[in-house]
Amino acid sequence: MKGLTRQQWEELLTAFTGIPEGLPPPDAEEQVPFIEEYLRAGAPELPGAFHASYLLLNVLSLLMKGRPFSRLDPGHREDLLNRLLSSRNPLPRGVATILALPVLTSYYRRPEVASPLGFDSRALKEEAALRVVSRDRSLPPRDDPAEEAGG
Amino acid sequence: MIIPSRDVREDLRRAVDVAIIGSGAGGGPLARELASAGHSVLVVEEGAHFTREDFNLKPAEAYMRMYRDAGQTVTMGLPFILLPLGKTVGGTTTVNSGTALRMFPPVLKKWRMTHGLDELTEEELNLIYGHLEEYLFVKRADPEVAGKVATTFLSGAEKLGLSCGWLPRNAKECEGFGSCVFGCPSGSKQSVDVTFIPDALSFGADVYTCCRAERIEVKGGRAVGISCQFLDEATGKPSGRRLEVEARAVVLAAGAICTPYLLLRQGLANSSGQVGKNLAIHPATQAVALFDEVLGPPRGIPQACYVDEFQGEGIMLEGGTVPPEIHALSLPFAGRRSAELMVKYPNMGMFGGMVSESASCGAVKDTGRRGYRPTIFYLLRGEDVAKAKAAVVLMAEIWFAAGAHRVFTTIAGHYELTGARDLRRLERSRVRVSDFYGMSAYHPLGTCRMGGDPQWSVVKHTCETWDVEGLYICDGSVLPSSPGVNPQLTIMAMAMRCAGFIDERLSAGKPGAGENAPRPEDVAGEPQGD
Ligand SMILES: Cc1cc2nc3c(=O)[nH]c(=O)nc-3n(C[C@H](O)[C@H](O)[C@H](O)COP(=O)(O)OP(=O)(O)OC[C@H]3O[C@@H](n4cnc5c(N)ncnc54)[C@H](O)[C@@H]3O)c2cc1C
Repeated sequence: MKGLTRQQWEELLTAFTGIPEGLPPPDAEEQVPFIEEYLRAGAPELPGAFHASYLLLNVLSLLMKGRPFSRLDPGHREDLLNRLLSSRNPLPRGVATILALPVLTSYYRRPEVASPLGFDSRALKEEAALRVVSRDRSLPPRDDPAEEAGG
Repeated sequence: MIIPSRDVREDLRRAVDVAIIGSGAGGGPLARELASAGHSVLVVEEGAHFTREDFNLKPAEAYMRMYRDAGQTVTMGLPFILLPLGKTVGGTTTVNSGTALRMFPPVLKKWRMTHGLDELTEEELNLIYGHLEEYLFVKRADPEVAGKVATTFLSGAEKLGLSCGWLPRNAKECEGFGSCVFGCPSGSKQSVDVTFIPDALSFGADVYTCCRAERIEVKGGRAVGISCQFLDEATGKPSGRRLEVEARAVVLAAGAICTPYLLLRQGLANSSGQVGKNLAIHPATQAVALFDEVLGPPRGIPQACYVDEFQGEGIMLEGGTVPPEIHALSLPFAGRRSAELMVKYPNMGMFGGMVSESASCGAVKDTGRRGYRPTIFYLLRGEDVAKAKAAVVLMAEIWFAAGAHRVFTTIAGHYELTGARDLRRLERSRVRVSDFYGMSAYHPLGTCRMGGDPQWSVVKHTCETWDVEGLYICDGSVLPSSPGVNPQLTIMAMAMRCAGFIDERLSAGKPGAGENAPRPEDVAGEPQGD
């Protein structure tokens, strides 16, 4: 993706997601193309807002931690994001939230992540497809609104 | 029949009795009613058509295909509020939670007294509600299917002695696949795409999909048709093909955000200056709880139960579990903190609370330069901030009463509550509007309000605009204020009512009984159709 190097992506994905126990680690190869598609599908301002947020993240990182985001160690990156998310000031919180939205979605939508958490969309889809729900109802004719619907 | 834009290979011209813009809770019932009364009906829908085979329980994909701007529509103002809007055949009903409630009776009194809507009577509305409930198989959520999140929350509410219960839903034989808002994969939810629209088609209506109405044609103060643009299904960009429709009546049912936008762009029907104003949205917040035992979300009915103890004060609690990829966003944490909690997703429950009677209001504007896209402004006022906080406190109390050992809120400074002490601290604290993380809203209403006075309202009680004869508006925008509950049933009821007035007008041969409009069979450029 324009603007972020692969390494920057990996840092961002891991800083937001962490590595949940028993689940696969974040995977930039798989997640970044989805993030690009997701941002493109939104309002035209969204890709710009995402990149502006990444820039602002670096500015806030400099101000709050004395180094740009990429130069922080992983623990400090997480710490910074948690401080931004819990800020009562909506601007830093907004920066972290805009970045979190596609990053977290791109991770937890992966079947190998969602399934162990109990959400196996494929199995549910197969089960749902077996159901037959019929419709056998109509509305009363327009000229007789008092007549009961049914049948 | 349904005619997707990909089957349209040339510019089309059609002439019909009624052209309807939008196929949701307003447009769908109108199409069905008017087609069944023998009128030729054409519906244009900006979104594409999907069936249950397409509903694959993949939330992000559903957002990208069936929601406007991939479900990321937000209001400008403090706080930013996510306002997802459906864009598909069936409108937002295809992706809604299936709660089917009649309006809160005191609100109707208010509409009659303060909006001059004497013609709207409780008896008439109840009769229509009754028919709709029958047609849509409305019944209370089945506790056996609802899932453990819902039963646990209700047990907490009952312990506290709060008024609560199972929500009425337009679902038949629901087995709780937990995916209502991404399209019902089992065909249980009786949304407009599987009810009114198929019925309208069987009565001869045509639905053009990926087709955006851009202009309402007006001659001599009377609506005579619409101009539309076909869109490429994959990109959403204009395909280069157009549809021109001549009609004896035009109905704008594009929803409370897009309807005023279309009118504002054209400077139409706005002598009152009220088009786009008075936006009500039911701002909502949530509380997530962590239990020792497994609750097993999102299996079950995501929105199965309610607590209406404080409905009179404008607070309604309604449940909502979501799949992991959405759940992760509701926890305002990053890194290890987020990971530690997310692995406990199976032990978590989520519930939602909305400000159902609100003092805040917003506006839809045409700010230009955003493509074909309205800008939405909304400012949450002090008393509503207090109500939103009260909703969070109430949900947390209920979760603790149900046995939760931690509750996560979206109020900065109070993200994690570990018990009564934290709860009291939240209760005592002064919460500011900017403290809310991730607010959302699902019910835009009121932007072309109905009323008895053309100076203060956009449409008459019949849904016809005061300014343009033969132009009707029939969707969430005409409700003069929030109905106090989830609005789909009330919007449908208004549509059924409106269909009666249009039918009467058309059947009486007024206006003009097709004097300008060629009959459908006269026109060239028929689609290839599927
Ligand atoms: C996630 C979610 C859950 C919800 N759950 C519930 C619930 O449980 N119960 C309830 O009562 N309500 C619920 N709602 C709200 C409810 O679904 C809506 O209030 C209702 O569908 C609005 O009806 P409408 O006719 O105003 O608009 P919509 O149903 O949104 O229909 C408008 C249609 O017009 C189309 N359109 C817009 N502009 C144009 C144009 N220019 N040309 C052609 N087509 C156009 C749109 O694509 C859309 O399909 C929910 C909403 C959401 C987002």
